[in-house]
Amino acid sequence: MIQERNLSIPGGLTGAVLGVAAELALEELTGMEVVGGLLAVIGAGFGLIRIDRRIYEATINLVNRVPVEPTSDYRDVLEQIDEMSIELPELRESFVKLIRAGIEAQRA
Amino acid sequence: MLGLNSLLKLFRKTFAPKVEGRGFLPRRYYLHRALEALDEDDIDEAVRMITLAGQDKKKSARWRMVCQQVIFRCRVLVSIHEKQMDQINTELEIFGKTEDLRTLYLRLQEVERKARDILKNYELRLLEQLSESTASVAQPS
Repeated sequence: MIQERNLSIPGGLTGAVLGVAAELALEELTGMEVVGGLLAVIGAGFGLIRIDRRIYEATINLVNRVPVEPTSDYRDVLEQIDEMSIELPELRESFVKLIRAGIEAQRA
Repeated sequence: MLGLNSLLKLFRKTFAPKVEGRGFLPRRYYLHRALEALDEDDIDEAVRMITLAGQDKKKSARWRMVCQQVIFRCRVLVSIHEKQMDQINTELEIFGKTEDLRTLYLRLQEVERKARDILKNYELRLLEQLSESTASVAQPS
C-alpha cells in the first residue's frame, strides 16, 4: 500500500521565501553570515511537509483534548474488598486462591 | 549512548510523570507505561495510559497489541470477581449465620459487583477504541 504524501508546493515556496528573508535579516542585524541558502532550504523543507500545520493541529488537539480523568476507581474498590474480607478469614483465603489461579492462568 | 539512556531514564522518573497526563508525550512512552502498570497490577493506570496512547487518529499495531493485553487482563479480573461473587453466594446459602455476618457478606457482594462493573466498563471502552482502529486499518481513508 502506497502511503499518500501530503507535500505542499505553495507551503515549500513560502517557507523558502521566509528562509531567505530570515537569512537577510540576520545578516543585516547581526552581521553573521549563515551558510548560503541554508535557512531557505530549511524553510522550504518546513513548508513542503507542512510542519506549521502539524504544529497547529497538535496545539489545537492539545487544547481541545478531553482530559483523561485520573482513574483510581478499581484500586479503591479492591482496597474496600480487602478491608471487608479481613473479618471473613475463610472467605479471604478462598479469594487469595482464586487470585493466584487467575494469575497462573494469565501466565499460561 | 549510555549517557543518552541515563538522560531518558532521568526524564522518565522526574519530568515525564508531571506532564504525561496532558497526552503529548510520544506514543511509545505511554505504551511503555501501560505495560509497566500491567506488571504492577495497576489496571486503572494501564487503561489510562493506553487511552492516552490511543488518542491519535492513526493507531499502530503495537498499540493494538498492548490494548488487547489490557483487555485480556480486565477479562481475567472480571472472571475472578465473578467467582468471588459465587463464593459469597455459596456462603450466604449456608444456614445459621448471624444477621451481622449476612449483612457483611451482602455488602461485600455489592463491592465485588462494583469492581466487576468498573472492569467491564474499562473493557468496553477499550474494545470500542480497538474496533475504531481496526476499522481504520480495514478501510484506509
